[in-house]
Amino acid sequence: MKNRFLQGLLAKAELGPLILLIVEIAVFASLNSDFISILNISNTLAFTVELGLIALAMTLLMTSGEFDLSVGSVFGFSPVLMWTLANSGATSLVVAFFVAILIAALIGLINGWFVTRLKIPSFLVTLGMLLVVRGLALFMTNGFPQRTWSASGAWLPRILAGEFYIGDFRVYASIFWFLGSAIVLGYVLTRTKIGNWIQASGGNPNAARARGVNVNRTKAGLFVLCSVMSALAGTISSIRTSAANPDSGTGYELEVIAMVVIGGTALTGGRGTIVGTVLGVLILRIMRNGIVFVGVPGLAYNIFIGAIILGMMALHSGLERRHNAGA
Amino acid sequence: MSEPLIRMERVSKSYGQVKALAEANLTVGESEIIGLLGDNGAGKSTLIKVLSGAVPLTSGEIFVRGRKVSFKSTSDAIAHGIETIYQDSALVTQLSIVRNLFLGREPLRRPRFLNQMDHAKMERVARDLLKRVGISKDIPPNTPIGSLSGGERQSVAIARAMYFESDLIILDEPTNNLGVAETKGVLSFIRSARDSGHSCIFIAHNIHHVFQVVDRIVVMRRGQVVADDIDPRHTSVDAVERVITGMSEEEEG
Ligand SMILES: Nc1ncnc2c1ncn2[C@@H]1O[C@H](COP(=O)(O)OP(=O)(O)OP(=O)(O)O)[C@@H](O)[C@H]1O
Ligand SMILES: [Mg+2]
Repeated sequence: MKNRFLQGLLAKAELGPLILLIVEIAVFASLNSDFISILNISNTLAFTVELGLIALAMTLLMTSGEFDLSVGSVFGFSPVLMWTLANSGATSLVVAFFVAILIAALIGLINGWFVTRLKIPSFLVTLGMLLVVRGLALFMTNGFPQRTWSASGAWLPRILAGEFYIGDFRVYASIFWFLGSAIVLGYVLTRTKIGNWIQASGGNPNAARARGVNVNRTKAGLFVLCSVMSALAGTISSIRTSAANPDSGTGYELEVIAMVVIGGTALTGGRGTIVGTVLGVLILRIMRNGIVFVGVPGLAYNIFIGAIILGMMALHSGLERRHNAGA
Repeated sequence: MSEPLIRMERVSKSYGQVKALAEANLTVGESEIIGLLGDNGAGKSTLIKVLSGAVPLTSGEIFVRGRKVSFKSTSDAIAHGIETIYQDSALVTQLSIVRNLFLGREPLRRPRFLNQMDHAKMERVARDLLKRVGISKDIPPNTPIGSLSGGERQSVAIARAMYFESDLIILDEPTNNLGVAETKGVLSFIRSARDSGHSCIFIAHNIHHVFQVVDRIVVMRRGQVVADDIDPRHTSVDAVERVITGMSEEEEG
């Protein structure tokens, strides 16, 4: 019995990432004691949870067997749209925010429609969408950053990205959005009927269809979720930094996908873990922060990230093979 | 007399020039096990693919309890109580036994808007079902399908068909590539399926397996049903083999 429990623990996809995270923190902390200072943790967390919001949604989408390369461009486009609308005086900031979210949902719906109805691989569909959305952001702004104002007084910015202190520790409201989303999406994936459908859609879509699962609607819904979460992350980030650059978010899609697969979600679908993704998000962001902190040139960051991805993939595929061998 | 469970009338299916089915007729009664025999390429798989909604028919009609049906997909056929069991293609290997059993019909806990699956109920039913099909021993219901053997996977699929009250369970060569014990298992599932009121179509190349369980033998040759009322209790294996190969053509007339 005990043996079985131990085996179960070892076979868990989350164990590898958890150990890696602990080792990583230990190494950085031993090299520079300021690494676990309140200031550094608070700084690192602020952006971590913003990217994390996208990674959570991407986890569900990837579990269903698809992925979305347009998240980075939606991250950049949505705040640009929001501020443009608000600056023009056409709407208030609040209305502009909801318009931006709605447009993002539409982008996700179009992605989902192309993938499920026209049966075009999500790689091509969302690559096309990446270019369209990024192009829109650049075209709308002529490539210039949008004017923002410090909106700290209004209720919406406060809810999205307001800062407050717990003792000396500064946190942004976005961390609650991240934690709340992680709990809700983790619950959805593991406990609900929808979660069962998401996993089945990615694992064996034909078998799922034969049981009456609406695979297309499930996937389309997750494309919408992914876009909306990217828009939410983008607007939160923009409010926090008081900036709206049409090219912000460039390359985030790959970083987010890396976070998700490092956590143990299968790129091929069928298996996903929200806990793993939270670990994956922390691993990559702490790595970026840590190597700068201990004096490794920031430009070397990608070398470490690449190595982590390769190492983790080797670990997960090893577990997978043992699993399939019926160990 | 009441209508049979299934009646297929003059069903044809062509793949381009190839006539895989040429006006085949088949009836299946309630609680009846039918053994479908025939040489390679006789059209057995095509017949059951048409019946399970996997391929559209070229012409002909299908009736379920006297009502004409037209299946556009396997889920249409399943909705009409016709379940086809393939070695593993109908299961999601990444998901557990329980999750596969209830896929698409997950029972929910209250309040229902939380969409939470009733895992306790699912596991209770699963344990009971697995016992009924004979694989309860060391396999917990949370085991992923990917770590089960081919025979065990089939048992799960059969258990699912039994629980959801499929009227007709179709098995296309379920005993291929199975060990002795697993074959025994499949044959006893078929019997227990009948005992609990399900009908069954069983395709196998091993005539002896067929003789062990079926009530009636149907033989196909070149896309047609050439004999549909062979009683295995009153016919020898040799005689059936002659019908399959067409050697008894003269005697049949
Ligand atoms: N998808 C297809 N395209 C073209 N021809 C096909 C196709 N499927 C089956 N056929 C042809 O239809 C005929 C009947 O095939 P079917 O698979 O029904 O035979 P079977 O009785 O199941 O044979 P076996 O015992 O070998 O499984 C064969 O001549 C086969 O070549
Ligand atoms: Mg066949």
